[in-house]
Amino acid sequence: MFDQTKQITLVGTVKDFQWTNPHCWIQVLVPDPKDPQAAPVEWGVEMGAPVELMRKGWKPGSLNPGDKVLIVVNPLRDGQPGGLVVSVTGPDGKIIGHPAAPGSRAP
Amino acid sequence: MKVRGALIALFVLFGCASFAPAQSLNSKARVETFAKLPDWSGMWEPDIFVGQADGQQFSEEALRKMKARAEAMRPSFTPEYQAKYEQIRKSIEAAIAADPVHPPATHQPLCGSPPFPATFTPGMFEWRVTPEETTFISTVGAVRHIYTDGRSHPPKELLWPTLMGDSIGHWEGDTLVVDTIATKRRIYMGELTGFFMPMSDQLHFIERIRMVNHDAIQIDYTVEDPVALTKPIHTVMTQTRVTDFDRMLEEADCDENERDPVVNGRFTTVTH
Repeated sequence: MFDQTKQITLVGTVKDFQWTNPHCWIQVLVPDPKDPQAAPVEWGVEMGAPVELMRKGWKPGSLNPGDKVLIVVNPLRDGQPGGLVVSVTGPDGKIIGHPAAPGSRAP
Repeated sequence: MKVRGALIALFVLFGCASFAPAQSLNSKARVETFAKLPDWSGMWEPDIFVGQADGQQFSEEALRKMKARAEAMRPSFTPEYQAKYEQIRKSIEAAIAADPVHPPATHQPLCGSPPFPATFTPGMFEWRVTPEETTFISTVGAVRHIYTDGRSHPPKELLWPTLMGDSIGHWEGDTLVVDTIATKRRIYMGELTGFFMPMSDQLHFIERIRMVNHDAIQIDYTVEDPVALTKPIHTVMTQTRVTDFDRMLEEADCDENERDPVVNGRFTTVTH
């Protein structure tokens, strides 16, 4: 479903951080830099399960609505605004959790 | 006098109850058996999955190890099952060609309890060793009961293919030898094919499980099927002790927020 040969950088605002099973999701509103007046596009970013994310430093409150984030994703192949998380940089400019290293791949 | 009589009655009632051996306590024989069993307490995970990234990505090294292990396990099918395998492979390749963006849901579901042996999947595991049974519990939903009370497998007429099959075991020193039958008639090796490979009703698994040191449990795993395979499949896998977490939390609550559903037989993603 995800094209793991490509990476897209999303710079936007967290709408919702879903700390849920089977996987956590970040809903992020991404404005079009070429058209700031247009309505931002909502992207869905898939991560792992809460228990696995906790082991890597994430907490249920790691992100909150309104947080400014920079998220690198492998985009969906079908062109929908969705992706698999590669790395998340939080509002303080620090990377959260355990980003994917170059050459790594999800099954 | 009445008060003294009542006190004696209370002593008899409660005092004796305090000192008498309760039926619920472990028998001396059970305690002695328990004491001879190895201590596999703690939490464990497959060594090749350690260090998965937030998006469930495996490292390059882990991918290489997984591929090598799968290649070493490549089944050698009998002509009858080679034909079945080729038929499935061709139909899946055709389905992928028809819609490469949404792969056909012909393999292990993305969410849900993994099938036997459930030791190949990411997640954390517990091994609960008791004299009568060793129970394997995983955070991704699998529970296996390995009966070590001397029983046999049930008679054929009481068996049918189930996710975990029927497992009985016995101890050879500190090694738990497990014999499993009546699983679903298929095996899955994602790194090889990405789909279930057909097996017969003779499918039979033997595991030899042993803690090789304080931080490692090794599973020697053999798959036999004289109808589907020309020779057994064999591998050895290692689980390492989890040291960065102290609780088993479930991961496979698929109803809570499953956003990779199967629609019309294909995997999809719901973006919001």
